[in-house]
Amino acid sequence: MSIEEYVVSQAIKGDGQAFGQLYEEHFDKIYRYIYLRLGNQAEAEDLTQEVFVKALEAIGSYKWRNLPFASWLFRIAHNQIIDYLRKQGKVEKVDWDDNIAHIDGPNPAFIAEQKLEVEKLADKIEKLSPAQREVISLRFGAELSTAEAAKALGKSPGTVKALQYNGIAALRKMMLGDR
Amino acid sequence: MSQKIEDIFNECLECLLKGESIEDCLKAYPEQAPELEPLLKTSSALIQKSAAIQATPEFKARAHSQLQKMLYAKREKAERKARILIWHRKWAVAMTSVLLILFVGIGTVTVSANALPDEPLYPVKLAVEQARVTLAFSDTGKAKLHTQFAERRAGEMTEMARQGKIDKISILTEEIAKHLDKVCVVEATEKIAKVPSKAPTLTPSPPPTPALTPSSRAETYDGEKGAEKLKITLSQSKAETLDTLRNALDKAPEELKPRLKQAIAQVAKDYDETISIIESGSSP
Repeated sequence: MSIEEYVVSQAIKGDGQAFGQLYEEHFDKIYRYIYLRLGNQAEAEDLTQEVFVKALEAIGSYKWRNLPFASWLFRIAHNQIIDYLRKQGKVEKVDWDDNIAHIDGPNPAFIAEQKLEVEKLADKIEKLSPAQREVISLRFGAELSTAEAAKALGKSPGTVKALQYNGIAALRKMMLGDR
Repeated sequence: MSQKIEDIFNECLECLLKGESIEDCLKAYPEQAPELEPLLKTSSALIQKSAAIQATPEFKARAHSQLQKMLYAKREKAERKARILIWHRKWAVAMTSVLLILFVGIGTVTVSANALPDEPLYPVKLAVEQARVTLAFSDTGKAKLHTQFAERRAGEMTEMARQGKIDKISILTEEIAKHLDKVCVVEATEKIAKVPSKAPTLTPSPPPTPALTPSSRAETYDGEKGAEKLKITLSQSKAETLDTLRNALDKAPEELKPRLKQAIAQVAKDYDETISIIESGSSP
């Protein structure tokens, strides 16, 4: 039994400390993933909280299937986002704001250049297909591996790799088109 | 078969995510480098951008506090549920124990009804008999029960004789005598109880009035009627008991017969004495 499986099994039995450990481990990744999908801080905060509320409510019925626990959390997060957007009558968009796009680095000129590049990139992300955007969010926001992202999305690793490649290529192309 | 470009890109991206430079990642794929380099640059920018996305400390503290509250509420709920379950379990155990004791008790009492003097459940049989006598509503009822139990002892004596257990015959003869004695005692007690009680007084009581009041006449009549009934019951019991014992005598081993004859004579004498006492209306 892996450490994660043990911690999850304890959380299933109602051990609050075990659930707290899972929360600490995944909180930032879930927040980043939701932020990348919605591009809004307040919405990302609300939905991140809702994801963990749902997870706590449902942890008792969780069944270990040799999948990373993160897959389950991202599935909840994904469903929360879909429900939220449906209720709001919104389509997915990424609204990159300066409050979040602060990049640390030793060289201010480099930082400015990078920031500009990233902002340009960010403007283009919302033009990606929903599937590409989801894969990019899981890979770059949640830091899941290709295999983990594939399990979380219920797609094959090959499909995820293709979506990832095409997504990045599309972003690059859009950026070049601006020049 | 050549590797797909998306697979190669994925491998290079993994290198990049581990912190390696774009150049290092592309070393293994010089042919694809011109195509992959710009994509990896875009990826690198995305990695940096994503790493910069952090929840504010205020939100983290708020979310953490909410989680703690939820965990506390969940634990409280679970503990409450566990307490109820424990209570239910204790209650179920208690009820099961009561039912078990009841069933075992009833079972033991039922089985003991046929127990013989040399069997482990015989004391239970005697205890049940004693309880029945204690719980009987009237003295007449108690007397009838003692008569019935005297018959039972005779039945047990028959079985003991059949089994050749001579020592038990003497004991059972004494037991029959005790039951018949108790019939007399109970009958006498009933008569005393039916005499009208007098208020306690310090002055000497006047001599008894020879004339009977209507109510005392009725009581005497009732007492006489009860004694008559009891006499009939005892006579019938005597006949049945002696029949049973005589049958046992016929089937008993030869060496047991003298002792059994003695017992029959003793039982007949005890019955006659009891009937005589009831007839005369006085206890010995």
